[in-house]
Amino acid sequence: MLTADEGQRYDRQILIKEIGEEGQEKLKRAKVLVAGAGGLGSPISLYLAAAGVGTIRLVDGDTVDLSNLNRQILHGDRDIGRVKVHSAKDKLALLNAAVKIEALQVTINEDNINRLVEGCDLIVDAMDNLPTRYILNKAAIEKGIPFFHGAVRGLEGRAMTIIPGKTPCLRCMYHGDVPKEKFPVIGVTPAVIGSIQATEVIKYLVGMGDLLTGRLLIYDGMSMEFREFKVSKNPQCEHCGEKSKRN
Amino acid sequence: MAIQINLHKTHRQYTGGKESVEVEGKTIGECLKNLIRKYPPLGKEVFGKNGKLSGIVEVYLNGATAYPDELAKPVKDGDTIQLVYFLAGG
Repeated sequence: MLTADEGQRYDRQILIKEIGEEGQEKLKRAKVLVAGAGGLGSPISLYLAAAGVGTIRLVDGDTVDLSNLNRQILHGDRDIGRVKVHSAKDKLALLNAAVKIEALQVTINEDNINRLVEGCDLIVDAMDNLPTRYILNKAAIEKGIPFFHGAVRGLEGRAMTIIPGKTPCLRCMYHGDVPKEKFPVIGVTPAVIGSIQATEVIKYLVGMGDLLTGRLLIYDGMSMEFREFKVSKNPQCEHCGEKSKRN
Repeated sequence: MAIQINLHKTHRQYTGGKESVEVEGKTIGECLKNLIRKYPPLGKEVFGKNGKLSGIVEVYLNGATAYPDELAKPVKDGDTIQLVYFLAGG
């Protein structure tokens, strides 16, 4: 049941007929894991908090650095040196105090992922490296919870939604790792991709629209183009294919 | 058979900025090898040391994933191959 304040706060989105009060209550009951409080994690968690997602578990092991501030809009000058998830929790509480923020200063790895995912309805990918994304993807497949992938570089980004057991997963497409680099990026790119991921999360939680499943959306800010590629399940996938069943 | 290969922007430095190149070939693998004959420095980007497709390059055929065994996938006149470079930033 929504309170009177909640009814007023979310009035404009409750007007979206596919959301309504019922959809808003679904958002309120949801608990999501946002893996990363940086460039992607900032717009994702801001828009999920603004939309009234009940609990956001935000996981990131880093502290805020001056070089983060061109894109990681949860943090500002005064936060330099602070634990990112603490800085993020403060900003999200200012935006929407009713949202419960579980701020975990943890670096995600294979040993702690099951504990971190426990109790969450879904995982949102806001990482800055492929190996951790593989850990998240595998955990999502094993737990049977959706995984919302996003990645950026420069003015380019991509997003795809994964529903375990039904759709292709990240590992179906990705096999290797990119060379370690200080990757180029400007804040508007994760803003676009993170907003797409947040849109997908809201759609999934409410149960509306067509998800970005089996489709890889590629955004190129330089040419201002969106392209879409059809993605199929890979029978040789180590996470969701025949190979994983043998293992 | 003319097959169009669209290149990711990270690869265009090896083609003098060309966004797409027409090549001949009966499979994706043949087409990529013919691409690299034209632009040899691209070889190390597309293929790994073992001669297999690089682990950080995706290949799409006519807008769809081409795995498994992408390189053996047959192509026909008018097909389009898209090379895409992995993104990992966040």
